[in-house]
Formats: sequence, C-alpha cells, structure tokens
Amino acid sequence: MFDEMLDGQGSEGREPYRPLLTWLENQDFRKLSKQSLQAEELFRRIGITFNVYGAHDGEERIIPFDLIPRIIAGREWRALERGIIQRVTAINAFLADLYHRQEIIRAGIIPSSLVHGNKAFLPQMCGFTPPGNVYTHVVGVDIVRTGPDDFYVLEDNARVPSGVSYMIENRATMLQMFPELFASHHIQAVSDYPKQLFRSLADCASSFMDNPNVAVLTPGIHNSAYYEHSFLADEMGVDLLQGSDLEVRDGRVIIRTTEGTAPVDVIYRRIDDEFLDPLSFNPDSLLGTPGLFDAYRSGAVMLANAPGAGIADDKAIYSYMPEIIEFYMGEKPLLDNIPTWRCSEPDNLAYVLAHLPELVVKEVHGSGGYGMLVGPAASKRELAAFTRKLKANPANYVAQPTLSLSTVPILTRNGLAPRHVDLRPFVLVSPNGIRVTPGGLTRVALRKGSLVVNSSQGGGTKDTWVLES
Amino acid sequence: MLGRHADNLFWMARYLERTENSARRIQSAFLHTLTQRPDGDEEWAAILHSTGKAEAFAKRHESVSMAHVIDYLLRDKANEDSIISLLANARQNARSVRTALTQEVWQSLNESWIIMNTALKRPVNIRELPSILENIIKGSSVFRGALYGTMLHNDIFNFLRLGTFIERADNTARIIGARYHRLLPTAAGALGRSDQSQWEIILRSLAAWRSYNWLNRGHLDPSSVASFLIFDDRMPRSLSFCYHEICTNLSDLETEYGRTYDSGQCARVLLRELEDGREKDVHRISLRDFVNRFIIDNNNLSLTIASDFNLAP
Repeated sequence: MFDEMLDGQGSEGREPYRPLLTWLENQDFRKLSKQSLQAEELFRRIGITFNVYGAHDGEERIIPFDLIPRIIAGREWRALERGIIQRVTAINAFLADLYHRQEIIRAGIIPSSLVHGNKAFLPQMCGFTPPGNVYTHVVGVDIVRTGPDDFYVLEDNARVPSGVSYMIENRATMLQMFPELFASHHIQAVSDYPKQLFRSLADCASSFMDNPNVAVLTPGIHNSAYYEHSFLADEMGVDLLQGSDLEVRDGRVIIRTTEGTAPVDVIYRRIDDEFLDPLSFNPDSLLGTPGLFDAYRSGAVMLANAPGAGIADDKAIYSYMPEIIEFYMGEKPLLDNIPTWRCSEPDNLAYVLAHLPELVVKEVHGSGGYGMLVGPAASKRELAAFTRKLKANPANYVAQPTLSLSTVPILTRNGLAPRHVDLRPFVLVSPNGIRVTPGGLTRVALRKGSLVVNSSQGGGTKDTWVLES
Repeated sequence: MLGRHADNLFWMARYLERTENSARRIQSAFLHTLTQRPDGDEEWAAILHSTGKAEAFAKRHESVSMAHVIDYLLRDKANEDSIISLLANARQNARSVRTALTQEVWQSLNESWIIMNTALKRPVNIRELPSILENIIKGSSVFRGALYGTMLHNDIFNFLRLGTFIERADNTARIIGARYHRLLPTAAGALGRSDQSQWEIILRSLAAWRSYNWLNRGHLDPSSVASFLIFDDRMPRSLSFCYHEICTNLSDLETEYGRTYDSGQCARVLLRELEDGREKDVHRISLRDFVNRFIIDNNNLSLTIASDFNLAP
C-alpha cells in the first residue's frame, strides 16, 4: 500500500511532504482537532452544504473536511497534466466523430450497438456542430494512484462534474487557518477557476457572439450541488437561473426581468440532458424549458456541456478509452485505464462471476457510489444478491480489480492515520486550448480501510496542493 | 434583474420582518402575563386573533394557554407563520437568490436559522423564552446592519426594503385594528388600569413604548397613541414612516429603470392620504374603517409591485 506522505521514507517522509511534516511536529494535535471543528462550523455558516437524496426533511449536511493537505510535486503534476489534456482532447474528438461520420464505428473499434443502444447518446445531436466545436467545456477526470508513478483514470466526468467549489473553499479555509504554511510552500493557485471558466465559455461562444450574456442553470435549491451552482454564478458575476426562468420567444432564449426581458446567450447548465427541454427529451420533466434545444440547434444559445456529451463518460465506453485515444491522437495513452471487464460479453461475465469477491462491480449508468459492489468488503449475502443481478442483466455492469489505492493521512482523535484517497482535477476546454486547474478535489474515505470516497457515502475532502516544483 | 430574484428578495424581507414583529408581540404579551396575572390567557387569545390564527390554532390545541400559544407561534412547523417556519422560508428565498446577497447578509440570516433550529428543537422552557426572543430580534438587527453596511444600494436593495415596509405597515395596521376600540376616547375621558396596560402592550409590541413616553412625557391618551402609530413619520413603525420608505424605494426604482410605474402612483396617493389625515382630528375619521381600508390598499400595492416588476413567475 502506497502512502503519499510517508512511503518507504520513514518518519522523514516523501520529499514534497517534508516541510509539512516538520511543521506538524510542532503542532498541538488537540488544538488542531479543535480547529478542524471550527472549519466545519465555518462551512455550515457559509452554507457549504449538500442535500442527501432520500434523507428525510431535506436535511442539509456538510462534507467533512480534513485539515491535512494532500501534496503533489510539480514534476508529478506536469506528467498528470499531459495525460489529462491528451485524454480530454480525445474525448472531444470522439464526440465530434460520434455525432457526425462515426469513423470509429466504421473502423470496427467500437461496436455500433454500444453507441446506438445507449441512453446517453442523443440522436438529436447528429449532424450538429456546437460553437467552437467543443462538446465538453468542463470535465472532471477522476484519478487514483497506486504507487510513486502509477496513476490511473478511474472515471471521466464529461456531463456535469461537480466538486469544484470544494476545491476553492477548501483552499480558502486552509489559507485562513494556516497562513504560515503558504509562506513556506510554493503552492499553485486555484482561486481563479471561476474567472477561467467564464473566459473559457466566452471563448467557445465567440464564433457567434462577443460579450455573451452567460448564466448558470440549476435544478434548484434542493439539488445536492446547489451551493456550488450559486457559488460559481456568484464568482463569475452572472445570473443563477432555473428552467422556469427561461423562455424561448421568437427563437431567442430570454429571461423575464424586473425591467421586461433580457436575452441569454450562454448557459452553463448543471442539469442533466433529459431535463433540459420537455419538447425534445423527457416530456414529464418540470425542470426544463420548452424549445430550448431547438434554440440551441439553431445557434441562438450555447449550452455547456453540449447535450449528448455523456456518451463519452459512459462506464461501458470507458473500457474502450485506450483505443479511443490511439484512434484520434495517433499515440499511446499517457494515463492508464483500470482494466475493465464488460459483463455484456459472456467470457467476461463468467470471469467476473468466478472472481466476484476480488472485484469492484459498477452499474454502467450509475454514479455517486450508489448501486456498486466492493467485493472484498461484501458479505456472502451481498455477493449472492449481486450474482443474481449480474445474471439477470449483465450488460448493466462492468467490473474492475480492487486497486490498492494510495493513502494520505487524516487527522483523527489518535493523531494521524492513513486513509484512501482519489483526485478529481477540473479541466476547461475552449478553442484556445485545454486548461487543467493545478489542484482538484481530493476525496478521502474517512473509515479505516474503506475504498469508497463519495460524499454521499461518508467520504470527506482535503485541500490539494500542487507545488511549483 | 431576474423577476423571480426580485420576488425572492421581496419575500425574504417580508418573512424576516414578520419574524421580528412576531417576536416583539410575544415579548410584550409575555411581559403582560407576568405582571397582570388575572387576564393573562386573554392576551394570548388576542395575539392569535390579531394574526388571524385563532381557527388554525384551535385545530392543534384544545385550549388557549400560554404554553400552547408560545409553542404554536415559535416552533410549530404546521403553522406557516411560526418563527421556525418564517425563518426557514426567509432562508429558502435567500438561498434561491444567494448570488444577489453579500456574504455578510446571507450569513446573518443563515446563522439566525441555525441558532433557532437548535434552540427550538424541544419545547421552550419559560426561563429560556426571553433570551430566545431577544436572539430573534438581535438576528433581525444584525441582518439590517449587514444590509445597510455591505449591499449596493441598487434595485436589489430597493426590493428588499419594499418587502420590509409593506410587511411592517401591515403589521402596525393589524395591531391597531385588533385593538381599535381601546384607542377610542372613553366618554368620561378617564383611563382604567386595564386600558393603560393595553396601550402599553400595543406600544411595546411596536418597539415604541419608550419613544412614546419620551415624546409625551408619560402622558397616555388614546388619540395621541393612535396618531403616533399612524401619522408620526419619526417613528420607524408608523404607517406614515413605512409609506415614506415605500415611496422612496419605488421612486429609486423609477429613476434606475427610467420610467414610472402604477405601483409608484398608488404608493404616492396612499402617502398623501396619510399626510392629509394628520391634519384632521384622528377621531373624526372612523379608526376601524380607516385601518381596514389601509390593510386592503397596502395588500393591493404589494400585488401591483409584483405585476409591475415581473415578480410572480
């Protein structure tokens, strides 16, 4: 098991962590624990909360925040960054291809059924080119680590990745609590992300509009990521809208304002495809705006991310990512995929059923850690139940080996203790290039030995430092 | 500005003002109960009556007692005008329009909500009641301070202030309306002890007991109390004061948006009527008719504001 702070280096620790370890030696841990509580109190006051689906009474919770930062050396980051840019470039090329000539299917690399039988693929997008030819304006690439130089992409989030507000608020909290650490480390800034996002969206739209009216579209205050939606709108200085605020009139998208109406040109939407427009997608949806998709196709408004981008982060497509990168980039992937068994294929299914206790099994369309099986942690009953599910609907699942995820210590009542982490860096795409914010959201499984880092399953977060060198 | 956001701002301010007003009413009734034991429960019934809650209350409780009424007004989630419901509604509106508020304004409201949610988790002990009520009123003051000190004084501010003063005018009018008979001069002109305490309740629940006494050197008489609450535009809860503020905020909006609105005209007419009324002897007008009409006019103004500025979806 690889510990990012201490691995193999005794108490001196790995190089990027040495100044922090020296600082930690001089800290009173009881005082640190107290500060940890203060940080959570601050989060609650600011209202950095999330709603848990299914929890009674719309209860709001805060995501536990751990004070010990996760540190990535500049050298490590640059390698990661190259791999992420390569991957995201390929994802956009893949989407442009799928919605036009579908060369990758003709070349026999991806089975047609996997695309055309997929809910995330939107035939309505075929033949349409989004402004700037960008499909995924914002991507969150989930990365796990198993050794000093061993990084794997766990998942691509090409629809509406969330968590970026935690990246920024965690940093702000650390700056407030431990300013001295920022004097002794050279840490790359993350706070300009909202401005970069605005710039990136405006650059994409520049093909049809200068100085566009940008807005953030949210499902509303009961959505689990509502705080983030309001945070981003606030930081960008743009309106935060709900579907019912928008109206399509004479082909233009407008909002009703206190002075009459005003146009909207760019919508950073944080709602899923199927809730965008009841006329084009889910007719039962109350969240959407009738006619929005037609306005989009006629070029009256830009949507970010593009509808239909989700086909690229589908868990069944994921297993083809190495081939997708090679096909469009003409080079080997710089970042590895985790070996993945597609249960739709009989040989794979047989293997997965035989090795279930060692594997992680996920629903192809699932997210948030819901509906997954972690073999080594599952009881006999859970394994038996999952076997039945797999046999009944094999195409709904993929399986992966249980990786030995890296650990970073967290602060516990008994001092520091290692816990498993992952990393979600945030990527902005525009015709002017791809930008990866140096840092990201580090999620940490707070329970000893647990591999599930999702906030809905009791995970926490850490500030993530990318050093200058 | 988005019409829905203006609506959220307007109602957030109304709910907060209502929270403060309710806390003040409970405060003054509580004080009265402790000092005027015999007709104590009557006062709690009067509160329910003046807020139009008597019937809804009867569905939740069999008898009117201090403990029941306090519970109903503070922490009953089935009562949409309980402190806990009002704060939750104010906060919900604030969250919806989070981007229009400064961090300090939002936090003042969010903190009140967090504190009250904890304080009102269990039934309130009489000993804690004074400090709980004080906290609610203090929260309202902090909110007001943050509003004045940190917000741009633009249309966002105007919609918030309109919500505050429409609600406040309604509250003052209802308090007068519920007790107008006490504000009529008696034939003999003599004041019974119970009348005195009634006026004290009225003035205290409008945070005006001290200021009234200061202006009138402790001399209580019905027509000067009525005229103080209706016409004195130095008193921040008088109808006249509220309408000065409403007119100012509406004309700010007219200046900012570069046109006039029906709501502005209506408000100016109502203000002129209040100014004319001051010239007349209060008791030549029928206090009851006056107040009832005012409540209706004030509510109509609220609706006109909503339609003028696209507040309703």
